Amino acid sequence: MNKAIEIKNLVKRYDDNFQLGELNLDIPSGEIIGLIGENGAGKTTLIKSILDILRINKGEIKIFGKNIKSYETLIKEDIGVVLDNTFFPEVLNAKDIDSVMKSIYKSWDSKLYYTYLKEFNIPVTSIIKKLSKGMRKKLEIATALAHHPKLLILDEPTSGLDPVVRNEVLDIFLKFIADDEHTILFSTHITSDLEHIADEIVFIDKGKVLINKTRDEILDNYGILKCNLDEFAKIDKSDYMAYKKNKYNYEILVSDRNKVSKKYKNMVVDKITLEDLMVLMIKGDKIC
Amino acid sequence: MLGLVKKDLLMIKGNIRQVILFLVVFLILAFQENNIIVIVPVFVSMMVFITTFSYDEYNKWDAYAISLPVSRKNIVKAKYVASIILWAIALLVTVVITGIMGLFEQNINYFEMFGMILGCVFSIVLLEAIMFPLIFKFGVEKGRIGLFVGVFAIAGLLGFIFTGIDLENATGFIEIFNKYYYILIPLAAVILLVISYFVSKKIYLKKEF
Repeated sequence: MNKAIEIKNLVKRYDDNFQLGELNLDIPSGEIIGLIGENGAGKTTLIKSILDILRINKGEIKIFGKNIKSYETLIKEDIGVVLDNTFFPEVLNAKDIDSVMKSIYKSWDSKLYYTYLKEFNIPVTSIIKKLSKGMRKKLEIATALAHHPKLLILDEPTSGLDPVVRNEVLDIFLKFIADDEHTILFSTHITSDLEHIADEIVFIDKGKVLINKTRDEILDNYGILKCNLDEFAKIDKSDYMAYKKNKYNYEILVSDRNKVSKKYKNMVVDKITLEDLMVLMIKGDKIC
Repeated sequence: MLGLVKKDLLMIKGNIRQVILFLVVFLILAFQENNIIVIVPVFVSMMVFITTFSYDEYNKWDAYAISLPVSRKNIVKAKYVASIILWAIALLVTVVITGIMGLFEQNINYFEMFGMILGCVFSIVLLEAIMFPLIFKFGVEKGRIGLFVGVFAIAGLLGFIFTGIDLENATGFIEIFNKYYYILIPLAAVILLVISYFVSKKIYLKKEF
């Protein structure tokens, strides 16, 4: 399998309070990879480190098999980004962006750009400042796609958008990924988005990768078992990953739903959502 | 890099009404004194250019710029090139204004005016050469404060040096300066800009956004 991004022993220190890594992660090409984690877990730090916006302290990052430090501009020709809260100065309009990008990307496709603008109903001559939040996001996405990138790096591309626009945006990403060579790295804390489109889930907490599995592996196998104190005492510690004590019951995260429900026949093991998984892994007491 | 230069100029173009208003107000204010009028366009160009840094900062443009296929070195270089283009435009405006003034008034000393424009360009170059690295390092707001401190410090230092020098003995230097100032001033400006660029580049290469 080809790798779009390879990260080896990445360490990024901010101050004494936060550190990313040591982090090892491979992003296979041709897939949508969802990066989840709570606010401050290190999602944006990881993305900014990959793009060299942040200078890493240790480790190596390769994109398309090439070291990002040595082939920076070459690699970035093939990447499209939507970053959280950073874009063109808001006094510019969509037309200005076209004129600037024409001179920045060798493969900038003005025709495609204007096609997207039309499809998204973005006014060409009104300045970014006057666009609604959804419009602005769609403009950012159109800008990220108009140079035929192979890799899309998206930091919270759907946050703050209403469900209708969010679905439109997710459809755009699904269209993009239809090409086998295309890859998307998608960070979000709206985990339901990923349940629809992600192939693989990378769960980051406190600067480390906690889980890195395919979406189906997680949604088909993981489960959540709710029980009372007596029942909780009967369950083997080796059978679950984390648990959370609520007011009236326990919620237990299990990595093999079928095995557990066979073993404890009188208890109910439910399917899990990514949100449950996140909450239990972050807020619960971890066993492993 | 061309794209980034375009971006700065487009931003100024987007604010062209305010720029013209600015220019007109200052020209009216300076109208009493023919000689001062010639420095207005260059002065306005500097003020306007600084706003491009403010917008960049406000919309966190730098992080986005780094994600594009442009090196950090060229991001810095583009700022310098854009500001030089703006000076050129400002000088063109100045020439037009003096031309118009020449139609109404007979006794304009063009030679003196040329000297003033040159001196003015040099002081703007000096200001920007100090200011750009400060902005890259500390951001626009703190960079501005740094500029004031810097200018006062330099002025104080120069004053201190000049009171120490016996001007009688320095006439030779002044004579040379008067003879060749049209070469010496541009040369000093270029050297200042080059030094400033290298300092800015060094700062920007290390910076994180």
